[in-house]
Amino acid sequence: MELEDLKSIWKSGETVFQPKNEQEIAIMLKGRSISIVNKLKRNVWFELVFAIVVSLGLLLYALSLEQGAMKWTSISLLLMCLASTIYFIKKLSVLNRVQGINDNLHDTISFLITNLTSYLKFYRNSYTVLYPVYFLLGLLFSVLERGTDKFVVFLSQPSTIVYLLFMAGLCFLVSTWFTRWYLKKLYGDHLEKLKKILDELNQQ
Amino acid sequence: MAIAEEKKFISLINEHQGLIHKVCIMYENDRDVRNDLFQEIVLQLWKSFSSFRGESKISTWMYRIALNTAISGYRKQTRLLKTEDLREMHLNISDAGSDDYDENFQKLQWAIRQLSEIERAMIMMALEEIPYEEIAETIGITQNNVRVRMNRIREKLKKLMCP
Repeated sequence: MELEDLKSIWKSGETVFQPKNEQEIAIMLKGRSISIVNKLKRNVWFELVFAIVVSLGLLLYALSLEQGAMKWTSISLLLMCLASTIYFIKKLSVLNRVQGINDNLHDTISFLITNLTSYLKFYRNSYTVLYPVYFLLGLLFSVLERGTDKFVVFLSQPSTIVYLLFMAGLCFLVSTWFTRWYLKKLYGDHLEKLKKILDELNQQ
Repeated sequence: MAIAEEKKFISLINEHQGLIHKVCIMYENDRDVRNDLFQEIVLQLWKSFSSFRGESKISTWMYRIALNTAISGYRKQTRLLKTEDLREMHLNISDAGSDDYDENFQKLQWAIRQLSEIERAMIMMALEEIPYEEIAETIGITQNNVRVRMNRIREKLKKLMCP
């Protein structure tokens, strides 16, 4: 069977699809994109709006309180939320660089691999930094609850130190494993697929 | 002005929608996912419509965007297709099309789907009579490489269609 035979068979396939009418196409233009980058962007926008709303709530709550442990707890959480806001903006700027659907397939795939890899790396690294911060915040709340003197006595006991080291290690391992697993499940497989396609394109 | 542009685009899609349908059916098994992919391709075409200068054939431009969307920009839920699963293939295609379905086209379609995603893209463009030069440009490889790969693809298709 030659290419010309295949072409005539291919042409016969024009009639087998249920055509969309102009109205259906017009509705499609109003729809939202489900491309991988747009999905990522929508998730980050949701996180950003959530962080801003929580920050405002915490600010109002902190302002309504007199001095005390709850006020400092609210302020420390507010600072965390503000740091998250900057982090989400940075994530969005990384994603905004991921364009290029007009390029050829090779360039688009290379570009996507580079940018998705850097996005995922940024995601992983930022969580690696955030977990110790959460841990330290936990300690801070403990100080606020027990009082500084009691906390120092509590912290000087060898069993407490061992317990804290164990918990820190466990939290770090579990959270790092979870982040890696979550990212691989969400985007890692897609990235692997893109790498395989690029390998095939690079073969002669 | 924007409305006129939109009307022009819609009539263009209407005229060339067979191309988009073919890309969708070659890259997706599931009917609903195929509809999602069709919409995504239309959206991406619309996004880049203003930058289309008419330097290449309209079908080349459409293939470029459609293939980029189907292969790289779209995270799909794939299901492996068994080589002998012609019956299911027939059911899937029937979902999308007419009752008196052409058996040869069905067979060709099945054979193309056994190829890798890149090979599928190349043979689809070749069957649309897109010149090798434009295939090379769309895929991002040399013309010589296109020629070599096309020979291999033809051999594979021959074996699949006439075992």
